Amino acid sequence: MVSSLGMLAIDARDVEKTFRSGWPRRRETQALRGVSLTVERGAIVGVLGPNGAGKTTLLSILATLLTPDRGTVMVLGHDVVREAGALRRRLNMASGRPSFLWSLRVAEILAFYGRLYGLSGATLRRRVDGLIELCELGPYRRIPYSDLSTGLKQRVALAKSLVNDPELLFLDEPTLGLDPDVSVRVRAHIARLRREQGITIVLTTHYMREADELCDEIAFIKGGRILARGTPGELKRQIRLGEVIALRLDPARVPWLSEIPGVLRCVEVDGWVECTVDEAEKRLPELLRALHTDGVVIRNVQVREPELEEVFVELAK
Amino acid sequence: MSWRNELLAVWAVTLRNALMGARNVFFFFELLFWPIVGVLSIGLMSRFLELTEAQASFVLVGTIALSVVNVCQLEVAYAVLLDVWSKSLKHQFLAPIGIRHLTLGSWVVGMVRSLAVFVLLAALGRWAFGFHVLQPGWFALAMFLLGCFLTAWVVGVAVCALITLFGNRAEAFAWATVNMVLVLAGIYYPISVLPDFIAAIARAIPLTYFLDAYRSHYGFASEFRAPIATGLALSALYAALAHWAFLAAIQRARRTGLLLKMSE
Ligand SMILES: Nc1ncnc2c1ncn2[C@@H]1O[C@H](COP(=O)(O)OP(=O)(O)OP(=O)(O)O)[C@@H](O)[C@H]1O
Ligand SMILES: [Mg+2]
Repeated sequence: MVSSLGMLAIDARDVEKTFRSGWPRRRETQALRGVSLTVERGAIVGVLGPNGAGKTTLLSILATLLTPDRGTVMVLGHDVVREAGALRRRLNMASGRPSFLWSLRVAEILAFYGRLYGLSGATLRRRVDGLIELCELGPYRRIPYSDLSTGLKQRVALAKSLVNDPELLFLDEPTLGLDPDVSVRVRAHIARLRREQGITIVLTTHYMREADELCDEIAFIKGGRILARGTPGELKRQIRLGEVIALRLDPARVPWLSEIPGVLRCVEVDGWVECTVDEAEKRLPELLRALHTDGVVIRNVQVREPELEEVFVELAK
Repeated sequence: MSWRNELLAVWAVTLRNALMGARNVFFFFELLFWPIVGVLSIGLMSRFLELTEAQASFVLVGTIALSVVNVCQLEVAYAVLLDVWSKSLKHQFLAPIGIRHLTLGSWVVGMVRSLAVFVLLAALGRWAFGFHVLQPGWFALAMFLLGCFLTAWVVGVAVCALITLFGNRAEAFAWATVNMVLVLAGIYYPISVLPDFIAAIARAIPLTYFLDAYRSHYGFASEFRAPIATGLALSALYAALAHWAFLAAIQRARRTGLLLKMSE
């Protein structure tokens, strides 16, 4: 398809979704209130936000598991409602709380889904073997699903989500409950998928390190609305949290520091004075000059960007 | 979708259900226990009541049919039940397949399983009560089994639709509803003994006609003019209705989020 949509993997506009449940007294939950999101092909985009923000709902709509109440959603050039069948062939999804038929073995699960996507014979065998190797499941290929640990189940889910060689992959909290060692490898794996196969990936996570490391762009969603959008760096600037210059001084306390222009606030933490400034590159020389003039000895200096976590906390307020 | 992919998707489900069935002892128990209990208790009761050979055959045909239908429809219902139990339903509906692949794939396993049950019950009936299933001939027997399988397909798909409509808590309700309908199909009595309005319901059930056709070879005059053709036509009608109901239920579940709720 060679249209302007060709470059966009996802083009969602004004998507609304309200869940109605309960009987006889109906409860309504407005999960999405007019979400618009575009994702370019080959990008990794993170959808972040507090619990209940609507992340899973958004991903499910994009993956055709849920139909939107309102709005238009084009994914890979297909309308998610009218052309769901053609679309399903080209995408896949894995979630951090995976579940599969309990007594099927790892290789059987992959083969089952492989057949649903039209693979058979030698092609299917090669694909299953390839995925088992890729996700380091070799020793477990004949183990029933219910006997696997959380991390292994997650890897099975990841392998399953690659069974149809998708162009677009949705990962809902892919490293939930994994130990740091395995998380690092899963992350490296996700980065490799994009690098080597050009897969477009949309993921949700509650680990800010993960989002910072993996995502080209982040959309911050809360209460069913996208509140901010940009690269991790842009978000940090956008939120105006400032940067931190941490100093170890002799004498340890310098009361006039917080009065210098551009210094937003100063706090003492473990013998360090942490000054939050609007722009570190500009304020650091000024600070150092003022301290030097006053005869204060500077024993150590560190400059830190705000963590994405702080951006998250700020946005979630 | 090409024919190859159609068959492949059906085969995938068949293989999956077969593997699950082979690995779960309780499924096996289900397969044997109630059918054997059914034939033994009905057979012994007919002996105690000193039924004629024809009357005994009549009720034995009924209990065997009930077992065959039950085993087969349970397997068809596994098309969604297995995934509902393991909370993996969404993966199925993320894949580019239709409900026909799920139901047909499960039906194939259901037919094999219920055929095994049938052979076992036939042997038991022969050995314990001198009841001969092949007395009406191969063709009549084949039509009788086909009728059971078709009924099972309809019932199984209807159960799938009810579960997708009301969620897994509706499981028991689904079984109760469809089994109640089955019992009305003149399992143990000719429908002429039923009160009018129940007889009308019985006449709407395809199994009634297949039972009638098969029993006519055991000395019971058929109550219908063309039972097999009527049974087939009714089955086709209900199969289409059940399929449509299941399809509509899935679409609704995608809209209400029940599909997701049943997967977490
Ligand atoms: N299937 C459903 N039926 C009814 N309500 C739902 C359903 N799924 C989600 N909701 C509601 O919609 C809102 C958004 O939920 P969603 O699962 O999208 O949040 P989330 O951002 O993924 O949260 P978390 O970080 O906890 O995973 C919540 O209030 C939730 O209770
Ligand atoms: Mg979620």
